[in-house]
Amino acid sequence: MASVELQSITKRFGGVEVIRDLGLTVEDGSFCAILGPSGCGKSTLLRMIAGLEAITSGRALIGNVDVTHELPAKRRVAMVFQNYALYPHLTVEQNICFSLSLAGVPKARQRERGMQVARLLQLESLMDRRPAQLSGGQRQRVAIGRALVREPEVFLFDEPLSNLDALLRVQMRLELAKLHNDIRTTMIYVTHDQVEAMTLADKIVLLDKGRISQEGSPLELYNHPANRFVAGFIGSPAMNFIPGQARRAEGGLALALRGGAQVTLPPRAAPAFEGERAVELGIRPEHLVFADDGPVAGRVSVVEQLGNTTFVYLDSDAGPLIVEADQTARFHPGDSVRVRPDLTRAHVFDSDGMAWPLAA
Amino acid sequence: MSTDDNQSRPARRLTLGGVLLTVLTIIAAAIWFTPVYWAIVTSLRADQATVTEFTLFPTDPTLENYIFGIVNSQLPIWYLNSTIIAVAVTVVAVFTAACTGYAISQLRFPGRRVLWWIILASFMIPVPALIVNHYIIIAGLKPFYPVLGLNTHLGVILPMLLTPVTVIVYKGFFDGVPREFREAAVMDGATEFQLFGRVFLPMNWGVTTAMAIITFIGAWNSFLWPFLAVQSEEMMTVTVGITAVQDAFGVAYGRILSGAVLASLPVALAYLLFQRRVTQAIALSAGIKG
Repeated sequence: MASVELQSITKRFGGVEVIRDLGLTVEDGSFCAILGPSGCGKSTLLRMIAGLEAITSGRALIGNVDVTHELPAKRRVAMVFQNYALYPHLTVEQNICFSLSLAGVPKARQRERGMQVARLLQLESLMDRRPAQLSGGQRQRVAIGRALVREPEVFLFDEPLSNLDALLRVQMRLELAKLHNDIRTTMIYVTHDQVEAMTLADKIVLLDKGRISQEGSPLELYNHPANRFVAGFIGSPAMNFIPGQARRAEGGLALALRGGAQVTLPPRAAPAFEGERAVELGIRPEHLVFADDGPVAGRVSVVEQLGNTTFVYLDSDAGPLIVEADQTARFHPGDSVRVRPDLTRAHVFDSDGMAWPLAA
Repeated sequence: MSTDDNQSRPARRLTLGGVLLTVLTIIAAAIWFTPVYWAIVTSLRADQATVTEFTLFPTDPTLENYIFGIVNSQLPIWYLNSTIIAVAVTVVAVFTAACTGYAISQLRFPGRRVLWWIILASFMIPVPALIVNHYIIIAGLKPFYPVLGLNTHLGVILPMLLTPVTVIVYKGFFDGVPREFREAAVMDGATEFQLFGRVFLPMNWGVTTAMAIITFIGAWNSFLWPFLAVQSEEMMTVTVGITAVQDAFGVAYGRILSGAVLASLPVALAYLLFQRRVTQAIALSAGIKG
């Protein structure tokens, strides 16, 4: 096991800067998810840790050893690729033992190690099959087995579940979580799927355009987003944003929302300003409740019933809103409703997108 | 046939177009096969019967033409020469082409693009246009390297190793291998030779088989260069040798055709054994030549 430390990492492809002066520490034995939209540089970051991509400037340390210019095979890391990268001409056993075979490990030892890994991943009965004869989940397990057999200090996963169907993805997610609990090796997991990141990781690093937008525990990012990007990216359905004008008021922050609604929020740690300031109120769907005396009026446009919960889409005076309602709630498109935000759970973002957290 | 089979197979309908196409195919095949058949039948007739008998089957089939050719000519030696040359050309040309294709596709080195353009340009020059140069070079090597001059196996083999199409085919296939395969092996500690020999080559084994078959057939059938490079009878290949038989036997059609049948036998066998691979190889190289 080893920690991973990136110090002022920058990556340029020609004139295009993909990663900009990025610093990150992944603690020994932790499960860190690098999350972000397509093109944010998360895979490039992982590939730089793996040594598959040269670092333009900055330093990478694995287990406190500088590996910035080290060959991938010498970094004591193993990587699981998105498309598994299983060699089609080799059996499961040969795929798992490929690195040992390259290193010239005796056949008997290879077999022994292969079987150990196969037992851990329940692949014993598949050892003679070729990748084409395996299901997606089995292939994924073989790819993990190939990484495990090297006994790396850090595991790198590059969107490993994105080729699986929804059901299998949930199953594999659980297996990965169990695997991490069993072996407690440092894992860095790149994904664009926030559910994977939220459920698997101890720590999420949310990237936006090559910079870390926020890092922290899943709930920290969910409950205390540092900016509008994090607030909008984490959570499904996404957070509602209502533009408005803020002014300081007795007992908090008064907001005049688009559409005319007036609300007063608990005091915020906001920069000093005089008069009014353009802001956005951020409120998650589960923090909006239907109430006849609610300040925001709207009309139901779509109702999504998921069984355990219901999402009601509104066209309101304040703009489009999503409200999470009780599963027993019965709404129909066209219904006139009023909603009230839970102002203790609301977020405020200034015109630069920075959050104004609750005052201490 | 089970009911399931009946259900799973779409019913074939007899259409006028389909019937016409089938008839045309049969006629074309018959036209192509007639001279082949006639050559085989004639080679099985006695010497006199070849000019007097025009039946579909020989009335008194005999192997005397084959025996005569094998006993009274250097045919076994020509066979051996052809085998040595065709096998050597196949092994060396396919291996070097695979290495070159891999290097151009996967490695980054100064001059890579220039090398690629030279290879692309070289395959646009027909072999006959280079044959005089080949002759002068190989003849000129004799004083320095006796094993490399005219009338030597190496002298025949060397110019036949230039197979830019095979390099192009390999490069195309190696380019198509997803980069994760390479990266996974690199992370596992593979060297370039291990990457080539244990990942890229086995993953494209079908291409290698196809290229080997087509190179073997091409080398076995080649005539112009072996004809120029070899004068002594004991160094001739089958294709060159049977022209000598023709001269030696005069108008003994049975003997000439028995030589021709024997000469084409390995190629015909290769076609029969590896039909699909040959078709694939032709499609691959035709796609490049397109």
